[in-house]
Amino acid sequence: MLPNRSSKDGLKIIESESIPRHAVMINGLPDVGLVGLLAASHIISFLKLREVGAIESDLLPPMIVLHGGVPKAPIRIFAGNELAVVISETVIPVSLIRPLANTLVEWAGENGVRLMVSLGGMAVSNRQDIDTPRVFAALSAKSVESQLNGAAEVLEEGYIVGAYGVLLRNCAQASIPAITLLTQSHYNYPDPEAAAVALTAVNKILGLKVDASELLKRGEEIRLRSKDMMHRTHEEMNRMNKSHEYDLPPLYG
Amino acid sequence: MLSTTRFDISPPQGSGWNVAAACIQPLYNLFVTAEEVVLTVDLPYVEQKSVKLKRSTEDSIEVYAETNRKITFKDLGIKHRRGEFTCYHAIIRMPVPVDERKITKKFKLGLLEVHIPRVN
Repeated sequence: MLPNRSSKDGLKIIESESIPRHAVMINGLPDVGLVGLLAASHIISFLKLREVGAIESDLLPPMIVLHGGVPKAPIRIFAGNELAVVISETVIPVSLIRPLANTLVEWAGENGVRLMVSLGGMAVSNRQDIDTPRVFAALSAKSVESQLNGAAEVLEEGYIVGAYGVLLRNCAQASIPAITLLTQSHYNYPDPEAAAVALTAVNKILGLKVDASELLKRGEEIRLRSKDMMHRTHEEMNRMNKSHEYDLPPLYG
Repeated sequence: MLSTTRFDISPPQGSGWNVAAACIQPLYNLFVTAEEVVLTVDLPYVEQKSVKLKRSTEDSIEVYAETNRKITFKDLGIKHRRGEFTCYHAIIRMPVPVDERKITKKFKLGLLEVHIPRVN
């Protein structure tokens, strides 16, 4: 049996199985348009990844999620195909973002993760007029750009608010190559189309063949099913001043 | 007993599934510019022809839309709750005075966008 890993930040990663060394880690946390959560959940389901761990903390609301009649932690890790995918079925409270990012990056380092890809949305006010959303990438280091394979436009200036910003910074400090992929999306409506575009970019970067058509085919159902999660995520994004991402950094080079 | 009118001045609290009225409270967003208020409402399973907008009170707009199919909790994988839904409904308070007679709207892939001129 694997030991539970407890971080100094009050979070515990409970592993039932080790992830492969040098895996690629994909994060799908609730964020703008739920792009990352929808895309990562689809990867798990399409590639039939196994549940290998859960993240628990007294700092999280006391809740479980039932799946197939079995109680699960809302934040879980799945693995297979040289991937480790982290998803959260609950909103991450602002107070937990730094501890979670610290724990995940520490865990990634211990497991020799070779690349961390975080999936999120980039809100655009005219989303309904955009047929094919653009995908942008924020990188932990310039050297990571070669791994993009032209799947996204590199962000040079700007702010990233929330878990993905902290994860990227922590990865940079820990010398773990990391990409935060931000796909143009609705701000507070679940956006399965944007998630499908994000998946196309992930396929290109990682050489995967995840078919995203199901996300489009079941788009209306996904939007309705995710409505409540989106609402709660929206409230939390307001608390963390997510709109700061629209600001221009004052310094110039 | 005095009657009271309930307003929603922000997106709905809680789950927003009104079993008694068979209505779902939709996600919506308000954006105020110098000239207008832009309201968007996410309405999956709705067709444009079923969307109805009207002034609800002095400072609110009511959105009602029938879904193109009956939606049940069972359809969404929920067994412990019973309920079926055939419409969306929301009463949305306008943050500034508007002229609802000059509303323009567009609808694309289940997303309603309403432009309401401001009254200065």
